[in-house]
Amino acid sequence: MGSFIFKRSLQSVFSLVALIILIFFLARMTGSPADLYLPQDASAEARFQFNEQYGFNDPLIEQFGRFLWGLLHFDMGQSLQFSRPAVDVVLQAFPTTLALAAITMPLVLLVSIVTGSLAAYRPGGIFDRFASILSLIGASTPNFWVAIVGVLVFAVTLRVLPTSGTGTALHWILPVGVLMLRPTGVLVQVVRTSMMTALSSTYIKTARAKGVGSRAIVFVHALRNGLLPVITVASDQAAGIVNGAVIVETVFGFPGIGKLMIDSVLLRDFAVIQAAVLVTALAVFVINIIVDITYALVDPRIRYS
Amino acid sequence: MNIWKSIALVASTALIAPASLAHAQDATAVTIVLPAGPDRLDPCETPRSVIGRIIKQNVVETLVELDYANQKTLPRLATSWEQTAPTEWVFKLRPGITFHDGTPFDAKSVVHSLGRTNDPALTCITRTKYLDGIDIKAVEVDPLTVKFTTKTAVPILPTLLAQLTISSVNTPKGEYTAKPIGTGPYTFDHWTQGENVGLARNDGYWGQKPVIDKATYVWRTESSVAAAMVETGEADLAFSIAPQDATNPETDKVYPNSDSALFRLSVDIPPLNDIRVRKAINLAIDRTAFLGSVISDKAELAMQQVGPSALGFNPNLKPWAYDPEQAQKLLAEAKADGVDVDREIRMIGRPAMFANSNEFVEASAEMLRAVGFNIKLENLEMTQWLKMANKPFSPDRAPNIFLTMHDNNSGDAAFTAFFKYHSDGRQSELHDPALDALIVSAGTKSGEERVREYNEVFRKIYEDVVADVPLFHMVNYMRVGKRLDFTPTIANAVELQLARLKLADKATD
Amino acid sequence: MPSSTRAFGTAEMAAPVSLAVRPAAPSSGVREILGLLWQDKVATVSAALLTLVLACVLFGPWLLADQARALNLMARNAPPFSIDKGWMFVLGADALGRSLLARIVVASQNTMLIAVSAVLLSVTIGGVLGLIAGYKGGWASAVLLRLADAIMSFPSMLLAVIVLFVFDPGVTNVILVLAVSRIPIFLRTVRAEVLEIKERMFVVAARAMGARTDRVLLRHVAPMILPTIINLAALEIAFVMLVESGLSFLGIGIQPPEVTWGLMVADGRNYLGSAWWLAFWPGVAIMLVTMALNLLSNWLRVVTDPVERWRLQTSVGRHD
Repeated sequence: MGSFIFKRSLQSVFSLVALIILIFFLARMTGSPADLYLPQDASAEARFQFNEQYGFNDPLIEQFGRFLWGLLHFDMGQSLQFSRPAVDVVLQAFPTTLALAAITMPLVLLVSIVTGSLAAYRPGGIFDRFASILSLIGASTPNFWVAIVGVLVFAVTLRVLPTSGTGTALHWILPVGVLMLRPTGVLVQVVRTSMMTALSSTYIKTARAKGVGSRAIVFVHALRNGLLPVITVASDQAAGIVNGAVIVETVFGFPGIGKLMIDSVLLRDFAVIQAAVLVTALAVFVINIIVDITYALVDPRIRYS
Repeated sequence: MNIWKSIALVASTALIAPASLAHAQDATAVTIVLPAGPDRLDPCETPRSVIGRIIKQNVVETLVELDYANQKTLPRLATSWEQTAPTEWVFKLRPGITFHDGTPFDAKSVVHSLGRTNDPALTCITRTKYLDGIDIKAVEVDPLTVKFTTKTAVPILPTLLAQLTISSVNTPKGEYTAKPIGTGPYTFDHWTQGENVGLARNDGYWGQKPVIDKATYVWRTESSVAAAMVETGEADLAFSIAPQDATNPETDKVYPNSDSALFRLSVDIPPLNDIRVRKAINLAIDRTAFLGSVISDKAELAMQQVGPSALGFNPNLKPWAYDPEQAQKLLAEAKADGVDVDREIRMIGRPAMFANSNEFVEASAEMLRAVGFNIKLENLEMTQWLKMANKPFSPDRAPNIFLTMHDNNSGDAAFTAFFKYHSDGRQSELHDPALDALIVSAGTKSGEERVREYNEVFRKIYEDVVADVPLFHMVNYMRVGKRLDFTPTIANAVELQLARLKLADKATD
Repeated sequence: MPSSTRAFGTAEMAAPVSLAVRPAAPSSGVREILGLLWQDKVATVSAALLTLVLACVLFGPWLLADQARALNLMARNAPPFSIDKGWMFVLGADALGRSLLARIVVASQNTMLIAVSAVLLSVTIGGVLGLIAGYKGGWASAVLLRLADAIMSFPSMLLAVIVLFVFDPGVTNVILVLAVSRIPIFLRTVRAEVLEIKERMFVVAARAMGARTDRVLLRHVAPMILPTIINLAALEIAFVMLVESGLSFLGIGIQPPEVTWGLMVADGRNYLGSAWWLAFWPGVAIMLVTMALNLLSNWLRVVTDPVERWRLQTSVGRHD
């Protein structure tokens, strides 16, 4: 296993390098920041000076070289908007988003595995229908809509939750709830489908017919078998939580990395975009390694060569 | 490490949370919701509203203060000033003031602040927007006297200096600071990135002691959430909410924000090079139908790019009538003369330029289509929009109807006329030598003469050239919680003096 | 008409033996499917709804384009359930007084075009690459997976924002961005399934008998994976509609005068406090389409699985 992780990490370095090159050039294709940071009636000299100061007058390839050189020294450059190191800006925002994800994902897995399995146990039954409809509503409602309606209902009308911001645990209820919505909806569907397949597979049927063990043991066996697609989709949802975080952080004023990223694109703050992408990519990379290891644990037939 | 801290925080606060919901703050502390958070809190960037609204005149003060409503300049850190020569001004400073860090306010700190602002290593907006090109220098005459010299005569120098905030000599040169040190009634307390900024009352303030002793600034992009925060008592003041969220006349107060919206026309490109076509566009847009629907009913019809609070505003211009038949007639006439009125014209907007601007642009495009224009609607993101807005213009560009919003909150038409209408102005489509001469001449005048010449500039643009489609002088809605007694004014477009906030009488509980 | 279909359905029930074997002719296959469809009321409703949406997609813009654009600032935010202004305003009017019903019908075209094309594109590309990665293994698999990792670790919202800033936010670019960002999920799902299936007896047998790789993949492996993929794709269609809506929420994405349900929800959110219907109806449209697609795909999965179908039919027969 150790050598697998090492090899996998080595391969992932290539993904990261590809990503960094991509983001460097893509970000710069979106246009120059000078006009955004200077007043609209700024003089040509002021704009030239601005570009000179931040190195935007140099050829792109030279800027890229400087960026790589800095990267080798763990220097991601200065943030234009905050005028301090981009890494600091990103690392300050990252924990909030990570905490959001770390609270959301376990809850999502718990709810969806329980609900999905129960639904699969009696397909077409009342519970199944109910769970299906609810999960599909969850998977298909725009999260910003739920977020704003949530504020209007729970904070303004009922006055049981705060509108927005961080601080107490109550502040986290609405954001986590909104963030859970779609992943839970999708995973309930996926768990249900895989469990139905697993429960109807010959070997579970045989086990059932032979009366081996209790219903619970059969269930666990089926779950284990049906888990592969669930893990795949769950990892995708976990990686995609940053998308939901963009919306949640925007509506609730959470100081996370999702909103920071989008704001940095709007403000052409290239250093922050690069640092933020790198940090989230590392997080996703860790998720992917965990997923691969879980694959191997769940299904011993999957070999790592 | 941090993540565990966050989780621990969540867990520990879970127990005490319900209690803290009810009473968010003590009686003399306020929470203020802004539409966007600050990126830096540097004193030389206060003309940017995201920064100015927090620190201008609260933490850092200016020598001169603008009286926005009356187009006058008032003494603040300076007690008096006089123009000793065309390019020379002498300012007397208020004695006995110290900065928050204990250093004295004197001529040295003024020289330092101007030097810092003029430092090319920083792109201070106070310099790039107001001081570039006049080559302003300051020298100490004595500890309480400063002499400013400029390259050319600047009759409105005090107005310009109303933008220059004075900070302690300990403010580092050549780099931005996130910890402003000023002389104001409030000291900078803390800034938590992405979350809030805190100010605390400066009990050693030279002026009157304000009522509010603590202010916390937070920011919410969604207007409905900002409005909800004040409604639930989590915040006391929401700086700017959308008209549709301003549903409670008791708390929601309107104030002009010194922004003027208009459509700029590319007057060189056919068919917009024909004055009849430009007139037809003006006649085809039903401006009054927007008031009270998409745009606030408190907004005013605009006839020029500066608002009534700017010196040089021409009060004698008459609004265009909404007359689609006349517009169609003008178009038909132009067509008969061989003007290609069927050519596709691009209407260019920008999302979220003002509240409901997307809807406004869509509706305007429909109104123009209704009289026979061939309009293609396009919404551009800020950078692309700026590229279209600024020179150099592409010579083979399509005919454009270009939505712009201009804020002239510095109280003088000079900041508008040259930039928008002179041949060398960065956002000017015009190149009329007579108009150019008039703009330059007006800039050198002062007093009544200055007003008269700028009035003529705006009349010419509006009536003779029909260079654009003036729309509205815009307003903002501020939601002021019941604890506070405050009425916003046009000054709040760029600043919010905490010292002006009073507690409502009944707020004793 | 309904009764005849029903009779047909029960007639088939009477001869379960003929079902177990392969359908004799395509026409009877279609009839058989329709018959089964009719027996599942949920699936029937779903299919009917999707047919209706398809009709809107094909004919909506042609019929109602003018109504969807006609301004009436006097009827701004007119409330729903009132036909004083005509039946077009039964769902209310938007912030410019345009009929919400007409706009939803017209917007269906762009919405479905974007969602379906993006998902089809990513299913095809991701599916093929996933088959290769799973079946071949080795370096091909490693390269493809790391490529998928790279895309996956690039937050799709961010990618979309950047790409739509560089290129213009038209329908085609929105489709492309969304398709690219969804490739990894299909690639990984297909690969995971292939890894499992290729060890199964019949595949091993086919390989041992010297069948060609592409033949094994297409004939033996792909059909086994199809149900999972169809289910996933049905969910992804909802996701694409939502991401597109999220982009509009951030002010990027489709720009007026083009319109999609996602854009309508995003614009309507400004009026949630005063005129809930602006964002509500297009939201309901997204929800109904999602639900119909998923319920139908679930049903389809059951019907196309011989074992499941047999169970379904016998149980249905018993209840009758």
